[in-house]
Amino acid sequence: MGFTRKDFLGSMIAATMLSLTGAAHGQQAEPVLIGATVPMTGPLSLTGKQYQNSLTMAEEDINKAGGINGRPIKVVFEDTQASNGTAVNAFVKLAQETKPSFFFLSSYSTQNLAVAPELKKVQVPAMYAGGADAVADGGNEWMFRIRPADSVSAEGMVKAAVDVIKAKKPGILYIQNDFGQGGAQTAAKRLEAAGIPVVGMEAYGQNDKDFSAQLLSLRSKGADTILIFNYPQDGALVLRQAKVLGFKMPLVTSSAALVPAALQLLSPADLEGVWGVTDAFMDASVGGRMKDYVERFKAKFGIDPDPYGLAYYDGAFLMAEGMRKVGTDAKALREWLAAVKGWQGIGHVYSYDAKGNGVRDLAVVKAKAGTKTLELVQPVTLN
Amino acid sequence: MADFIQLLVNGLAIGSVYALAAIGFVIVYSATGVVNFAAGQFVMFGTFAGVVTLINAQLPWSVAYGAALAIMALFGALFFITVYLPLRRGSIVTIIIGTVAVGIIMQNAALLSFGSWPFRLPSPLEDRVVNLGGAIISTHALGVVGVTALMVAGLWVLFNRTSVGIGMRAVAQDLQAAKLMGLKVNRLLALSWVLAAVLAGVAGLMLGPMWFADVNMGDPIALKAFAATIIGGFGSLPGAIVGGLFVGLSEVLGASYVSSAYKDLISFGIMILFLLVRPQGVFGEKIQDRG
Repeated sequence: MGFTRKDFLGSMIAATMLSLTGAAHGQQAEPVLIGATVPMTGPLSLTGKQYQNSLTMAEEDINKAGGINGRPIKVVFEDTQASNGTAVNAFVKLAQETKPSFFFLSSYSTQNLAVAPELKKVQVPAMYAGGADAVADGGNEWMFRIRPADSVSAEGMVKAAVDVIKAKKPGILYIQNDFGQGGAQTAAKRLEAAGIPVVGMEAYGQNDKDFSAQLLSLRSKGADTILIFNYPQDGALVLRQAKVLGFKMPLVTSSAALVPAALQLLSPADLEGVWGVTDAFMDASVGGRMKDYVERFKAKFGIDPDPYGLAYYDGAFLMAEGMRKVGTDAKALREWLAAVKGWQGIGHVYSYDAKGNGVRDLAVVKAKAGTKTLELVQPVTLN
Repeated sequence: MADFIQLLVNGLAIGSVYALAAIGFVIVYSATGVVNFAAGQFVMFGTFAGVVTLINAQLPWSVAYGAALAIMALFGALFFITVYLPLRRGSIVTIIIGTVAVGIIMQNAALLSFGSWPFRLPSPLEDRVVNLGGAIISTHALGVVGVTALMVAGLWVLFNRTSVGIGMRAVAQDLQAAKLMGLKVNRLLALSWVLAAVLAGVAGLMLGPMWFADVNMGDPIALKAFAATIIGGFGSLPGAIVGGLFVGLSEVLGASYVSSAYKDLISFGIMILFLLVRPQGVFGEKIQDRG
């Protein structure tokens, strides 16, 4: 039996179908690239490593759950170090070489502000965790914040000072940068509006290691409570030095002083009389998805997770849901994200406003007496 | 008054650490003509030597401190052999850039080895405080001032009462003449680097409990020690001590009585003023051949 024209045509059609099917499979296996510019070295890596870890975990979990309609995601990291210039270079490198469908930017506002104009040129949606209100006020429609803005945190700290501690003469100590200055000014205005004007405001530099002058100055001005806007390590150092100086007054810290990297530097005695506002109350006792996240993160990386990392984990799942629904087209994804209301993450409920602010809830916490275990004093949701 | 005493002791404690780092600068500069831009990282290594011996190895205090300083002495000798010796025939600029490069390598090596999380280095005096006229003073801060005073006294004895120290001064003053006099110049130069590393180790061990052990702690120390050296006088040991104490006190008292927001402006402003008006510093001699 010979090879007829019909057989030849049939085999050609079969071969074409096979190759098309193969190509389709190849396209499905093509990963969706996600760019992440995070501080992996330098002083900011203290928190940067947390969201590098949480994004890595999110990548694995999203891919295990089927990825983006069958396509896996792949997070490509670039180091921003502690420099705005390096952050811009890292972003441009990813934008030009990797060409990702989505970006995660660092949690440092100054780096977010530096990268914002480049993001506007590239026109790809991005999530960021810097708190400064100035980032959202810049009006970059491609940027979506995944943490409470500093003004929200400042309001939470004021609520803790006024409602919980009943402060009458608050003082403010702040790190001298966009985050600290913005938070301190917001807190001072809110306190003024509540009829409790601050007795003094003191600043310190990002590299400062001695805060005795500022703390003693606030005490000599009669402060009965001090609100502290800090980064992790300096926050821990302020709490230590306040204790060594014999301070008995309540201290209210911003979230960074109570992340695991900072808490491991403190003793239970250092935390006596310390309240704090954290982005989210992270404890396995909360149960459900929080318990699962906390336990798996610790088992995988050998350290406790922090709320910043959790925000990136939530953000990655929010991004994945958007991609599953509207695909990876930048404009469609941006519009989907801008319309998100009441999306329930592990750490927060996300509802985006016109400025790209998605989170307005946080938690007031305090260490249990004689321990370093944080307990929830009250959740705070602001309108 | 109580607040002033507290500030004064804190300023002296921080100034003492700057002074020790500045002395390390001066010893190396006087002997070799090299401005060691890795000096801040030397102090950071000293702190992490303490992390290894006190936290990781859990050695008793005296053994841990001795071992940490021995590690630093070894590191100083290694630095001399692997960085200074190969580069010494190059221009001074080459050696200086070499110290910058090694400083970056040291910082990143520490980051790779210890990670980005800081450590809380314990102090034998821990959180004990004393009450001086109503001022609550940390005994560790008092200890830092005391140890620095002892170190300075020890250095004075070394440089003025021992043949090794006098030999080191001779090398610092005139290398060729020292060679002609039969001094073992290389050994004395190596000793300068070892001494600088050990002093940095002492500074690092004292600083760890005050600042936390952190791989990025070196840069701010180097900047302040550099300012202290300029103000006190490059090449002058008394200048390094006075300069260090001045920078520490101006930092703390300036933040309290002038402005916390501009406290660094005070010490660095004074440093610039010295560079403009009296570049040789308070104790420095007007020498034109180095700088």
